[in-house]
Amino acid sequence: MKPFSKASKKEKFTWILLFLSFTLFLLTSIDRQDRMRVVIVGAGEVGTHLAKMLSNEDHDIVLMDDDTEKLRKLTGQVDLLTVTGYATSFRDLKETGISKADLFIAVTPYEERNIMACILARDLGALRTVARINNGEYLLDKCKEKLRNLGVDELIYPESLAGKEIASSVKQVGTRQLIEFSGGKLILMGIKIRENAPILNKQFEELAQIETELRAVAINRASSTIIPHGKDYVRNGDIVFFFATRAYQNRIFELTGKEIFPVRNIMILGGSRIAQKTIERLGDHYNIKVIESDKARSQEIADRFENVLVINGDGRNLDLLKEERIERMDAFVAVTGNSETNILSCHMAKKLGIKRTVAEVENIDFMGIAESMDIGSLINKKLIAASYIYKYTLGAEVAQAKCLTASDAEVFEFIAKEGSKITNMTLRDLSLPTDITIGGIIRGTNAYIAKGDTLIQPGDKVVVFALPSAIRKLEKYFK
Amino acid sequence: MFNVRLILKILGFLLIIEGFSMLVAMAVAFLYHGPDGMTLLQTASVCMVTGGIAVSLTRKAGKTISKNDGFLIVSLVWIIFSFFGSLPFLIDGSIPTITDAFFETMSGFTTTGASILNDIEALPHGLLFWRSMTQWLGGMGIIVLSLAVLPVFGIGGMQLFAAEVPGPVTDKLNPKISQTAKNLWAIYILFTAMETILLWAGGMDLFDAVNHSFTTMATGGYSTKQASVAYWDSPYIHYVITLFMFIAGANFTLTYSALTGKFERVYKDEEFKYYVLFAAVFTVVIFGGLLTTTELQAEHALRDALFQVVSVMTTTGYATTDYMVWTPILTYVLFALFFFGGCAGSTGGGIKIMRIVVLLKNSYYELRRILHSSAVIPVRLNRRAVSDQIITNVLAFFMIYLLIFFISSIALTIVEPDLESAMGAVATSLGNIGPGLGDFGPAFNFYELHPAGKWLLAFLMLLGRLELFTVLVLFAPAFWKK
Repeated sequence: MKPFSKASKKEKFTWILLFLSFTLFLLTSIDRQDRMRVVIVGAGEVGTHLAKMLSNEDHDIVLMDDDTEKLRKLTGQVDLLTVTGYATSFRDLKETGISKADLFIAVTPYEERNIMACILARDLGALRTVARINNGEYLLDKCKEKLRNLGVDELIYPESLAGKEIASSVKQVGTRQLIEFSGGKLILMGIKIRENAPILNKQFEELAQIETELRAVAINRASSTIIPHGKDYVRNGDIVFFFATRAYQNRIFELTGKEIFPVRNIMILGGSRIAQKTIERLGDHYNIKVIESDKARSQEIADRFENVLVINGDGRNLDLLKEERIERMDAFVAVTGNSETNILSCHMAKKLGIKRTVAEVENIDFMGIAESMDIGSLINKKLIAASYIYKYTLGAEVAQAKCLTASDAEVFEFIAKEGSKITNMTLRDLSLPTDITIGGIIRGTNAYIAKGDTLIQPGDKVVVFALPSAIRKLEKYFK
Repeated sequence: MFNVRLILKILGFLLIIEGFSMLVAMAVAFLYHGPDGMTLLQTASVCMVTGGIAVSLTRKAGKTISKNDGFLIVSLVWIIFSFFGSLPFLIDGSIPTITDAFFETMSGFTTTGASILNDIEALPHGLLFWRSMTQWLGGMGIIVLSLAVLPVFGIGGMQLFAAEVPGPVTDKLNPKISQTAKNLWAIYILFTAMETILLWAGGMDLFDAVNHSFTTMATGGYSTKQASVAYWDSPYIHYVITLFMFIAGANFTLTYSALTGKFERVYKDEEFKYYVLFAAVFTVVIFGGLLTTTELQAEHALRDALFQVVSVMTTTGYATTDYMVWTPILTYVLFALFFFGGCAGSTGGGIKIMRIVVLLKNSYYELRRILHSSAVIPVRLNRRAVSDQIITNVLAFFMIYLLIFFISSIALTIVEPDLESAMGAVATSLGNIGPGLGDFGPAFNFYELHPAGKWLLAFLMLLGRLELFTVLVLFAPAFWKK
């Protein structure tokens, strides 16, 4: 048979065109190049949560664990690659394609393993490494420096972060959540609106006209976060998020009918590591009672903290709590390892008249229910740790990223770059998407609340509130 | 319970994709000045309008796809695709009855390649190309295609991918499912183009070269000639097709590794080793048999043996010779291969080599377990222990496969009294191969079969292509309970 049998030019042309168009069709839908490759080691709670979150943001995620079962459950749900292997094995790490990784996160329960994994990962070419630690000593600058030289760039200590968060929320009476920007020059406060609030049933439009130094950016209503329109009303039971400068903090309390009282007596249920970190953060100015059921641990806390009264007993026992004068407490913090106990005991404390309660809820599925149960602030160390790590995926412009508890919304502190889109015109003319709100800016040592005629200058720190749908769009404005 | 709107929306999008593919076939029809261009244009518009309506009606669909939704969507897609895909044959009149047209298209999409056509050459070029195209699309998978080109699925893509590519162990080339799908399709297109050039260089008409490449890479087996590949009496063409059938029956992830220079992975892969081994052993046995029982030259006997073994094992189903005229023992040795199939992650159907290896190993180890009653003897594959869960899954798969094979074979004897033919027809449909035994051997086709038998076989093809469970769970009462 003759090779290359006769075919008309038209015929050849059409078939070549066909194959080319197939290829082109594939190419047109080629992926964005700005995606990061993130390798996460440890499919525990923090690792899993991070993997889900980053995968939804469209990053390339590789998750590694030595337990195939844990990974198998995830593969059907989340768009990621799983690798079974050991965090400290060169060969297994190579399997994850670590040489191309932009970010390496080691969050197994073991500190030594995480640090070792980061050292190996750096050696194999990971650009940035993050290790989860359980030892506060490493956070000292001197130790950090040493670890950095070994290849561990960032450290994350979830219990310490949670302790910090609890301590600041105990001090902040009246607010559900308080986030400080640039050392407290600008604050974001989430406040629950009750029947006695003067702004109840007012339109957001009115609010904006009367109070120019405040900005209500979002409300949490029936377990979902919405960005309000001018015509929306403030309703009973809403959690409203306000941006304000420090000077106007008290004005917010007036508007929401919150009574400010000094906190002196604090009861902490559970002597977990979070509790200990919280006590460290609170310092010596409070009367603290800790209730812990484990004898040895009670002893340990008593040894460590001189000014703390440790009660060895079951915190679920109402008589014991009454004996310890729970009704006299200004604040009640429940941080036992058991989310159900924490939720129920905070509920009980509220019933007994304690105004300030904080519950540690580790089970993310409970967060929504707990939020609607009237038990004050919720703390979840996974979410805190995850949003802390999250900022590393957003590039250098982000100075801070915080996740709002009980909602997916995030607050970012961006540094506006020279020539970026956001510095081109006033906020009104920018016409930002509706799921993004700019709360305020920090210029030099002064903080300002954002208004329609605000013009952002290069070098300003810009505090942005964004729903999850908008996080991707943000980068466009700051690049 | 089900996210009905989203299911409708996804089905709508997929129908639009099918419409686009028909437009490609239409272009081919016009290229060869066939009378079928207008037919294909009409059917393409039907697909697109129906799909468009479904999409526009369901704009506000929720975004989450549950596991159950995934099974339902994938099973429905294959049925709907076959239904709409059969319209060009029906409207054109080349295949006048719905039963035959549906059978032919289902056989196409599932890459079975069993035909009811008595005179394939009479079909106009456009329809012939559409027939090959159904195999090409179905080979890599409809969902895999849409994951590659449509970003609409979001997270739900995982559920759909898992339902369409169920294999015992799925490995991804890339962390992102859409990127994985793109890589797979890129390899697929590359090899199809390569084969086209090689076949054309060997003397095939350009049109035939394209069609055969489409159906080889899909391990489908539709030919543009009634005599299948035997039409070309050229050893070169036979060897080229054998090579590409073999590639198509291997795991595409491995092919990708080989293309990116990681040959180590290929020769260390245990499934691939057994794939080569099985092909070699069966070829040698049949080659020996042919040498002793026929007058064939050594080269010719080897070529026939190799071609038929690879064709059946990869579930392609081309024929260069009629294996029904061989000594019965050789025919039945080949029939054993009906139950092997390609590698996991290939376009081939059947039980799949990986499952066969796990089954054989587990059975062999069971003997040792009996001798050493307290020994821990895991089944190992690629130097890793296979989890008990996978082993139970494989055992259940095998059991169900055999059960379906026996029940359907017996049921088919109602309309096809010859047991050998009935068994061959069922095995070939379930394994997505093409030709069967006896009345349905390579020299014949399925035209004479009673319509009820055709519908049964079409259903078996779907079961086989989606590897049983995806379709069978729809029949479990628990699936429909709230």
